[in-house]
Order: sequence, then structure tokens, then C-alpha cells
Amino acid sequence: MATKPTFTSVDQADLDFLGREPIPAKYYHDADWYERERQAIFLRSWIEIGHVCELPQPGSFIRRELEFAGVSLLIVRGRDGEIRAFHNVCTHRGTQLTDQAEGRTSTFSCPYHRWTFGLDGALLSAPDFERFFTTKADCALPRVALDTCAGLIFVNLGADPVPLRDWLGELADELETLPVARATRFSEYVYDIAANWKLTYDNFQENYHLRFIHPRTGEATFSSENPFGYPVRYQFFGPHRTQTIWTNPEPRIAPLQRVAMGKAMIAAARRGLAGGPNGREYFALFPNFFILGTVAPHFSHVVYPLGPQRSRGVIRIYWEGDDADASERFAREYVMAMARDVHAEDRAVIEAGQRGLASGALKHIHFQTQEALCRHLIGAVRDAVAAHEAAAGTAG
Amino acid sequence: MTMILPEDFADLEPFVADWTPATSAERAARRSAASATALAAFHDAMAPRLDAALVWLDARPLADLDPAGRNLLGLCLMLAHVALAVETQGQDEPRHALQREVMRITRTPADP
Ligand code: FES
Ligand SMILES: [Fe+2]
Repeated sequence: MATKPTFTSVDQADLDFLGREPIPAKYYHDADWYERERQAIFLRSWIEIGHVCELPQPGSFIRRELEFAGVSLLIVRGRDGEIRAFHNVCTHRGTQLTDQAEGRTSTFSCPYHRWTFGLDGALLSAPDFERFFTTKADCALPRVALDTCAGLIFVNLGADPVPLRDWLGELADELETLPVARATRFSEYVYDIAANWKLTYDNFQENYHLRFIHPRTGEATFSSENPFGYPVRYQFFGPHRTQTIWTNPEPRIAPLQRVAMGKAMIAAARRGLAGGPNGREYFALFPNFFILGTVAPHFSHVVYPLGPQRSRGVIRIYWEGDDADASERFAREYVMAMARDVHAEDRAVIEAGQRGLASGALKHIHFQTQEALCRHLIGAVRDAVAAHEAAAGTAG
Repeated sequence: MTMILPEDFADLEPFVADWTPATSAERAARRSAASATALAAFHDAMAPRLDAALVWLDARPLADLDPAGRNLLGLCLMLAHVALAVETQGQDEPRHALQREVMRITRTPADP
């Protein structure tokens, strides 16, 4: 006889190291604090910006605007197969080299005076260069640190960053087990939100809101034994964190959802993607990246700050291989549309929270046991700001 | 003479004109623009035919479907969106459509 799996809640005692105190509200709206986060975190942390499948061959490039830094980057696969990041800035007088979002090229040629750069950033040619007082070797495109893990591309604007793998620690090997490491295709949707990046991000690392904000799309998550759909485990890895999502033994599923998910699971099994060791893990990499280990949807979600109270979310659902047949295409379309339906429901309530906090009415906000990941994020943010300011001698 | 749909699916022809946009973003917009009555009519006609349509399509390479096959595939993909409106959102669909509008679909494997 099959026994029904029971839900066991995480124990607050295991989370007490995070503290229990209320959290100052200013961290979520204050412009000065945002500037300190920008300096301490976003200008010197590994930030996820794409996937190697966007750069299939030598000469493939993508442009990425990092609004939080005010920079435009070119991510380029060189002739040697290596992926590099450069500022999209001509070394003559600063003109941006291209406004193309992506493409394939053998050189980047500045529209202004035709300085021309190779895929490795070297200045190859410049008209009338004899009249300058510099060397071509000194005029290569400014390089930005770039590294990959599990096919995901990270850049770091800092001067001499710790290697990405050291930064990710033991999570690097776990990420490599995910389907994203083999992805060749993705579905993507993007939203702008009038809310602080942490308030936005926190929404996606607590399940407390699910039954109120996702009463229909969240139905598969709820049951009498776990009415909030809480996770079964939280783990902490330096500034990063994970949760193990609960498996509802009796999910309520709409008719075509069942068809689509069935086809998605068949496709995943055929591709050898099902049943991986991290299939129920939800990874939160500091500062602003998530990836969910399930095969359908297997999504990443990055929340990029645009200002103290504005952010942009980019959600990608990763797939291995082209659609093998109509059934797989149907399943991928449904899975994308379903995930988008869920994500669409969160935005308005996050913005309402931002308006409330920005009013200055509250000195503090509160986190419960099952908001431990939110509590851990603000702790990691405060630690990073303190460490940076101590090192720079600018503690304020 | 070119067929609008494969012969076995000729009964679905009245839906082809309105329910076969070219991209995922256009399908999402089509769902949001439709009335509850139109969504229900398409869902009720198409949902019972989905299995047969996918069996017919799966027997052929996706890349070289003829125009009739492509129309049938388009109806299937449209149903993915409409099913969410009819089976999941129900009464909430008009309000939900407003929330979805800002979630811009930028690419999917189904896009040309
Ligand atoms: S600014 Fe680029 S060539 Fe002059
Ligand atoms: Fe949510």
C-alpha cells in the first residue's frame, strides 16, 4: 500500500542564525543605500547575462546593456572559440561600436572614423593612424571579466574578481548537473517593474504569497497538508541559497496542462534530462539570479536593478535541442505561456509594496520562518556593503 | 487547389483566419484581445481535436509541413494559450490579461 508522503516544515531553530529581528525598511527604497549596493555589489559581483547557446560560432556576438552600471557590453565568441566581453566603446573617442542586439561578424568597425577591431578586441586598422600619438596595442577594446558555469554567462565589472567557480563554491558542480548546461534554445519574456530589485527578487523566494496571488495558477501547489505550498528545505552557501520544492502528491491540474506536461516529460525523458539530482532544487545565486531545476519549466529569472525603485526581470525557459516534433513544440509553447501567466500575477502586488515602502510610513518590515531566504538575502547584501566599505575605508 | 487544413480537420477551417498568428507573442496578444465567448468557442472546437492533430503532425517532419499542416500546427499552438484562459483563469481572464500585457515575450523556439 502506498503511503501518502507527508509534509514536514523546516525548523525555525535551524534558521535562528539568520536572526529574528525586523528589517529596516529603508533598504528597499532609499536612494543612498541603493548607491552603496551598486558600488559594493553590482559593480563587482558576477552577474548572469546570457547563455553560451546565443554564441553558436566564432564571430557570434550579443550586446548587453547593464543599466545598473550605465555600460554597454559586447559578448563575442572569438576565432579560437573563446567567449570574451568588451565594452561597446571605441577607444578613439568613445563612440559605441554597434547598436545591433546580436549577430555574427568578423570585425567591429566604428561608424565615426572607422577604427576596426578584431573578435579578440585588438585594434586591427585605423585610417591615418600615423598621425596619432599612441600605438594600436594600447587601443584594444577595454575587456570585462567573463566566465561561464553550466552554459550560463556571467560578467564581472570589478578590477580583479575572484574566479567565478570560487564565488559559486560547491554550487558550481550542482549547477552543471542542470539541463541548462546542455541548453541550445530558450523561450524568453521580460518585464519592467516599479520596484526595488530586492523587493522584486524576494517575491520569488517565498511561497507565503502563493495562495493569495496565484489562486488559480498555483492550484497544483496547494494541499491540505501544506496549504501554503512551503518548501521542504532551505540551504545556505555563503551569500547564495537554495530551497527544495515540495512535491504535492495530489496536484490539481487543468486538462490541457496535463496533456502538455505529459508531452514535456516524454520529451525530457527522451533527451535524458529527467530525474537529475537537482530536479527539485531552486537555486538563488547572489545577488540577483534564480534557476529552477525542474525540467518543465526549467527557468532562470534575473532581476536587474534600473534604479533604487525600478528593476527589469528577464525570465528564460531553457530547452535542449530544436523542437523534435509538433508535440514537443506544443508542450514548450504551453509551458512558456503557463510560466508567464504565473509571473504576470506577481508584478502588481510587488509594485504596491514599493509604493507603501517609499511613502516612508514604515521603519521596519517583518520576515517569518518561511521567508528565511529573504532574510538571508538582506543579510548577504548588508555584509557585502560593509565589507566593501571597510576595504575602501568609506564606511558610512 | 491548396487546402486550408488537412482533410481530416476541415471542420476547423472557420477558425484558421483568426487563430493562427505567426509568433508566440502574437498568440499571447490574440488570447488577450479575445472575448470570453470567442475563447470558449475556439477552445470547445479545438481541444477535443488536439490529440488527433498532434498525431497527424508528429508523423511529419516539422520543418517541411505544407501550408495546411502549418495552419493545423498554428491552431494547436494557439490552443496552448487559449486553454490557460478557459481552463485556468476562467472569470479572472480579463483582469489577468492586463497583468500579462507587460510580460513581453521576446523569443520562443516556435518563432520563425
Ligand atoms: S570614435 Fe571610433 S573611430 Fe573615432
Ligand atoms: Fe508569485
